[in-house]
Amino acid sequence: MGDDCSTSLRPYLQCVRSSLSAALAISNFASQTSERHNVPEIEAASSPELLLNPLVISRNSDERTFIEPSVNSVRVSLKVKQADEIEHILVHKFARFLTQRADAFLILRRKPVEGYDISFLITNFHTEAMLKHKIVDFVIEFMEEVDKEISEMKLFLNARARFVAESFLTPFD
Amino acid sequence: MAQLNYRTINIDVLDPDASINFPMDTLLPATLPAATTSSAAAAVAGEVRQLLRGGDPAAALRHVLATAPLGGDERAKEVHLAAVTEVLQGIRQAEVSRVLEEVCAGADGGAERADCLMKYLYKGMASPVAGGAQSPRKSVSPQSTGFSQIQGRNLGEGGGGQQMSVLLSWHEKLVELVGTGSIVRVMTDRRTV
Repeated sequence: MGDDCSTSLRPYLQCVRSSLSAALAISNFASQTSERHNVPEIEAASSPELLLNPLVISRNSDERTFIEPSVNSVRVSLKVKQADEIEHILVHKFARFLTQRADAFLILRRKPVEGYDISFLITNFHTEAMLKHKIVDFVIEFMEEVDKEISEMKLFLNARARFVAESFLTPFD
Repeated sequence: MAQLNYRTINIDVLDPDASINFPMDTLLPATLPAATTSSAAAAVAGEVRQLLRGGDPAAALRHVLATAPLGGDERAKEVHLAAVTEVLQGIRQAEVSRVLEEVCAGADGGAERADCLMKYLYKGMASPVAGGAQSPRKSVSPQSTGFSQIQGRNLGEGGGGQQMSVLLSWHEKLVELVGTGSIVRVMTDRRTV
């Protein structure tokens, strides 16, 4: 970690921030297919003209963000870096922990988009009820935190494994 | 045929007037340039390389953006993307701001070139990186348990980190120059590159 990491992380987050603020220009839009319904168009996908071009922002081949904008909703999917199997398991557990509590997070999607670890679904009702720049801040902060959290958990896991191995082997000393 | 469950058929798809069958080509402007082929795109790539070698990065970028195959087939677009990536990587970090101002701030269609460049930056990030994605490094761990402390986190960048950081720094400078409106135009413009 250290300098090298933060220098390449900053432009990535900056890019996500500007793309997300551009994508969050959404407004109320009732369903065209069923009367008196109002659904996130990006999920319903019932009219192709309402879906905009999706954007992919990648830092490297295993760390990227996928933004799918539409007229009244935006889906943001994150792929968290997983360098080895332990990180893969940790990310899976972490994402599972969060998605099970998706109600408390409001914008969290219960199931990530195919090929990504965690997804957010932001609709016009969220941007009406909350401040737009605060939503963007939240997503960016989440991306920073999840990286930190995973490295911390991995270090902790390794330390614990070393301790267990030591105490297990003490009688044979 | 007997197993076909008729309840799972989406009948809206069969109705030509349904909103799911919206004719997407009506969203394209009538002034779309004629379709280009991959050989034409390759010829452009050659010209651009010559300009770049001649020490005129601004002209190279200007030319490659002006000849973007908005109406071309997939192959032509791929070839052109490679040419654009080459130009972007061929321009030194210190020169980026100067080149951008020269190419994208001019009154003679500078805004269109900026939007086109923005499209290519996103397309470049979306396309899988050659040589990086298929490295077997990922699934191999020195121990069968996968428990390894050898590869430290963030030590080795994942594949394509170098190319992406070039694109990301271009993106940052371009947004600084032309603002987020350009990103909105990338999302809404149906003339993809």
